[in-house]
Amino acid sequence: MTVVEEARRTANGLRTASDSRLARFILAIGTIVVLILVFRLSTNFGVFPESWDVGLADPIDRARRWLISNQTSHWLYTVFLNPITDAIDWGIRRLESILKWFPWYSYPPITGVGLWWTRGRVAGVLGLASVSLIGIIDLWEESFATLALMGVSVLISMIIGIPLGIAAWRSDAVAKVVRPTLDAMQTMPGFVYLIPFVLLFGVGRVPALISTVIFALAPVVRLTEVGLRTVPQVTVEASEMFGATERQTLRLVRLPQARPAIFAGMNQTTMLAMSMVVIAAFIGAGGLGQVVLRAMQSIEVGKASEAGIAIVIMAIILDRFSTGIATADPGHDALALRWLAVAVTVVAVVGGLLGHNEFPESLNWQFAPYVDDATDWARYNLYDIGGSGIGTGPFSDFVTLRFVTPLRELLSSDIPWPAMIGIGVVLGLWARGIRLAVGIGAALFAIGFLGMWALSMDTLAQTIVAVAITLIIGVPVGIMTSHNDLLRTALKPVLDFFQTIPSFVLLVPVITLFHVGRIPGIIASVIYALPAAVHYTDLGLRRVPAEVHEAAESFGATRGQRLRRVEMPLAAPELMVAVNQVIMLILAMVVIAGLVGGGGLGLEAVRGLRRSDAVGRGFEAGIAIVLLASILDRLTRAIADRLRPPAAV
Amino acid sequence: MDTASETAQVRVEGVWKVFGRKPGEAREMAEAGATREEIQTATGSVVAVRDVTFHVDAGETFVVMGLSGSGKSTLIRCVSHLVAPTEGRVELCGTELTRADHATLRNLRRQKMAMVFQHFGLFPHRKVVDNVAYGLEVQGVDRQDRQDRARELLDTVGLEGWGDHYPQQLSGGMQQRVGLARALAVDPEVLFFDEPFSALDPLIRRDMQDELIDLQMKLQRTLVFITHDFAEALKLADRIAIMNDGAFVQVGTPVEILTSPADDYVRAFTQDAPVAKVLQACSLMRPLDGTDIDPGWPQVSSTTPLETALPHLLGSTSPVVVCDEDSTPVGLLHGDDVAGVISENRP
Repeated sequence: MTVVEEARRTANGLRTASDSRLARFILAIGTIVVLILVFRLSTNFGVFPESWDVGLADPIDRARRWLISNQTSHWLYTVFLNPITDAIDWGIRRLESILKWFPWYSYPPITGVGLWWTRGRVAGVLGLASVSLIGIIDLWEESFATLALMGVSVLISMIIGIPLGIAAWRSDAVAKVVRPTLDAMQTMPGFVYLIPFVLLFGVGRVPALISTVIFALAPVVRLTEVGLRTVPQVTVEASEMFGATERQTLRLVRLPQARPAIFAGMNQTTMLAMSMVVIAAFIGAGGLGQVVLRAMQSIEVGKASEAGIAIVIMAIILDRFSTGIATADPGHDALALRWLAVAVTVVAVVGGLLGHNEFPESLNWQFAPYVDDATDWARYNLYDIGGSGIGTGPFSDFVTLRFVTPLRELLSSDIPWPAMIGIGVVLGLWARGIRLAVGIGAALFAIGFLGMWALSMDTLAQTIVAVAITLIIGVPVGIMTSHNDLLRTALKPVLDFFQTIPSFVLLVPVITLFHVGRIPGIIASVIYALPAAVHYTDLGLRRVPAEVHEAAESFGATRGQRLRRVEMPLAAPELMVAVNQVIMLILAMVVIAGLVGGGGLGLEAVRGLRRSDAVGRGFEAGIAIVLLASILDRLTRAIADRLRPPAAV
Repeated sequence: MDTASETAQVRVEGVWKVFGRKPGEAREMAEAGATREEIQTATGSVVAVRDVTFHVDAGETFVVMGLSGSGKSTLIRCVSHLVAPTEGRVELCGTELTRADHATLRNLRRQKMAMVFQHFGLFPHRKVVDNVAYGLEVQGVDRQDRQDRARELLDTVGLEGWGDHYPQQLSGGMQQRVGLARALAVDPEVLFFDEPFSALDPLIRRDMQDELIDLQMKLQRTLVFITHDFAEALKLADRIAIMNDGAFVQVGTPVEILTSPADDYVRAFTQDAPVAKVLQACSLMRPLDGTDIDPGWPQVSSTTPLETALPHLLGSTSPVVVCDEDSTPVGLLHGDDVAGVISENRP
């Protein structure tokens, strides 16, 4: 009796909860429609009024000029910034010269031995071959420049990150400051970090390195903290019981047990640094990124491909090595490897003394011409196959004219700006509450006041189209892989590969097919974000407990019903996380695509980095990107929380 | 309840441990007789240990028996000062832990005490031998010496040759031997055991208990042992404290507990206890008082379990002669007494 009543009450409670949710949703949609109609009919609001531009650009440009002219005299530089610059520059040069001291023929075997040791023989052979390839395509010098910058960045990230992680673990006060800062830092597209440091340090390797460190710092800090937090309490008690000092316990018990987590953090930090060091070519960091950038600007697709491949090789080697190092177990090969390592070291030192530094030109072979030929062929033959109206050209036009442009028009002028802000506020209210709503409203106003309204809506339109395409492809694939282990195993290396590639490099193959404009940027973004969409969909569906599947099946649900009625709703929060990740990745990529004619905020930011008279505008665009990223991030995360089933009481 | 003797190595007086924001209020309520649930709803604080007093003599095995949530784990942490008690005094080997500064406490831990943990608490990143040597490493003993000592102890606990493995490569029973060796390596005077065998299979648990008894015969250390297993307590203890709801319900020798349980709570445990296995002839014998011993009476040694003496008593009215190790008669075991104890413990 009572049980029945209780069940009935619970069911009612659930129903009212979901009823009120639906009601709120309908209310939100209704408000949005009313907002649009009211502003459309009653006034002539369109684009955010230009006269409201607060004009941040001019003061920033003035500051820039002042900074440049005072670089040699002002105390800020002589006492503070210049010594930092000099020390960092010295470090990079030093590392580069050490790297170059060893003979060219020592690097392929060093890589081979390293990968054999951490990953096995096949990886070793592949490593040896691919490093040789970098030399063969004549990118030896540039690779060292990139490697030196990487090395110093990662080293500094460790030196700052591990102690910071320890501090955040030790003190809740520090953690309270560090955690949200890291979250915010990870939200922003890496690209925008470059802007303030260019302002302060000018172009070159030092601002590149500083922005790289900031961009790449988060994982190592976070995972050091997590690693220390998850050390089993009983081992700490055991250590204390033996009268260990706190320092002894940290050194002998906590840190060694946190080591796998710290290594994982180091791997992620390394990969982020790699992607940033490449992008930092925009501000004169040199190296492989510079080659890609130059080649792309002059549409030398072959050259860009070569450098792109060198970057991919370097990224994959670093990734495999840094993930393997924590679990390295050479097994039976240990003895052979030891002798090999000794032999390679001897060869390296002797060769270094003899001075065989340059990769011999006689071994050079370029595949750039073939890529150029293929690109030309593709452009003539695939652009519009046989005049049939099918091909990459018509496809670009179709997507641009049917989706991107209308959506941009819709967002920037067809929907009046006050209505846009209203929509943001209503969504914020619906998803979380008054604070988020106010935050979104303020951020949108700020974008308007910066004079970045139209450009932001352009970027938003591109982002929305790319997100839609990514989800349309990625979610079904994720659903399939979650039901099919074979497919999942087959797809995994492909997805891993695309996630390892620095974002910037993805633009290279895309422009071979689609030339420049908004479409290559969108396609590159889709490719860049697809792995995340597939991964999180798969993860969300796999987390649905087996009993739930069985329960649904026992009621005779079809597969489609099960998916729609049971699995998707249960996986909804994870799916929203997928949407969040996809949006953030795509936004980062769409911004970089400013380089290949993507337009919007990215273009403005790129110009700001490349032309000293446009720094102010670039800075404004950077702020707008940050604001846009924050709005989208908070909003999607709030929606994810909203979709979570009520917590157990 | 407890009169501290001169030789006590562990003295605990009026120890309280309250988790939460309002320890004072919670304590007042507890003193007024409120249960843990009542206190928690009223103050949000949990009274884990309430007013516990006891002492442990040198060489004695003192077992604290209680069900999960009775506060025994917190108690042993208060005594070893892994957790600071809210109130009360803890004295170990003549030093008052509750007033000691960090350095004193550290030195005391390095030299006088050690602990064996329920889930072993071994360091997964260190080889077995380095686990055992940990206490010495912390003290600054150099590598060769501490390794030698560690290997010596691994031999003692029957793990010779396992030193170069990692703990997780060993079975549960072997892991706890490592834990025991690690605790013994620093040559402590007082050993704390926090439910050391409860994570082990029953058969292995029995082996470990027997081995601990053997070791204790040789080493004669002071042991404070926590368990939720009444049979284990009866088997190992010189004295047992039964704990419930944070407080001691009864403290006494196994025989005292079995023969005169303080209340229904304790009696509930004794009812299922294997009395005839646990009680030994010496614990129920009556003094000789000049009785003439008939040479026809059967003889048993003083450590014989009642179970074994029972057949001699059944179907006979004559008592059994209890002898010490030198076969000198020390007392008489009467059938009535045995029957009394056994039947008293039947529902």
